[in-house]
Amino acid sequence: MRMLEQEEETNDAEVTWEDQQRINSFSKLNNRIRIIEEKLQDLKREKEALDDLSTELELADEDELVLYKVGEAFIHMKQPRAVKRLEKDQASVDARVSVLAVQADECETQMKELKVLLYSKFGTAINLDE
Amino acid sequence: MASTFKPVFSDEKNPRGIPKAPFIANVDEYLGNPDADVEITLKSFQDALAKYRYMESSLTQRRASLEEKIPDIRKTLDMVEYLQERREGKSKAKDDLNDDLEDEDESTNGPVKTTFELNDTLYAEAELDDTDTVYLWLGANVMLSYKLPAAITLLTSKLDVAQSSLNNTIEDLEFIREQLTIMEVNTARVYNWDVKRRREKREKEAAKQPSGK
Repeated sequence: MRMLEQEEETNDAEVTWEDQQRINSFSKLNNRIRIIEEKLQDLKREKEALDDLSTELELADEDELVLYKVGEAFIHMKQPRAVKRLEKDQASVDARVSVLAVQADECETQMKELKVLLYSKFGTAINLDE
Repeated sequence: MASTFKPVFSDEKNPRGIPKAPFIANVDEYLGNPDADVEITLKSFQDALAKYRYMESSLTQRRASLEEKIPDIRKTLDMVEYLQERREGKSKAKDDLNDDLEDEDESTNGPVKTTFELNDTLYAEAELDDTDTVYLWLGANVMLSYKLPAAITLLTSKLDVAQSSLNNTIEDLEFIREQLTIMEVNTARVYNWDVKRRREKREKEAAKQPSGK
């Protein structure tokens, strides 16, 4: 927090409940988007691993037994079955990624709107960037 | 009237009983008197902030433990569902899921062969006999046997409970964040109000005795 210049102080006195709510939403969204981005990172890593796996599995022999992780243990299963499972796992990761991506987009658009509103009202008296 | 103590928290609460922070529309009005003692108010604001921060940290921990617990439940559920899938594949020769896996019959019939983690970095192989029962660890040193469908139902409901409790925790955390922001803004405004008042006072006094300079 820094000291405000004299003319800004008068500006500061006009915080209305509406402004306060905007500030609140902004701070909330800012926090939310950070968490979403963390999760997205994790999921992207998982997705990459599954994609790698899918190329590997294509190379494997049809009759070959592969170890596929289910829960905490590896199940020995035939390649076609493993491919099926992989497809299912990929679909579930993709679904989660798209849900989070939509949420992140929503946060961003709302934050942009709030930024415009708040900056136009408070100018330099408020700082909304990291 | 000036020094009457005002409770910082309002009576309004969120669904989990966390009190709302008050919004100060007008500092003059809130303090009630142009000569009010700002220290007391600022101190009560600090206390309120500290309380919110305490709630925030305990909820953050709760959230972390739930975020850990949910994948655990999901993993268990994955495995039980896998076992159930295999059984269904066996009992119904033509299962939708296994339509294009018909040529795989021998492997569906045999026991499940697994490699499981015996300890960190130590793996062992095991064959699972065909079974319709699993044992679920319920905590408190209790383990119960469940038929596969019952286990799936139980695990699904546990997952739902954990998920909704996580959602509530996240909601609470966001709520607390809002209250923290309100209190921070309140603190800043009361503080600035005080700075402004002192300066006006000083200016007034300076004007009173022009020779003082």
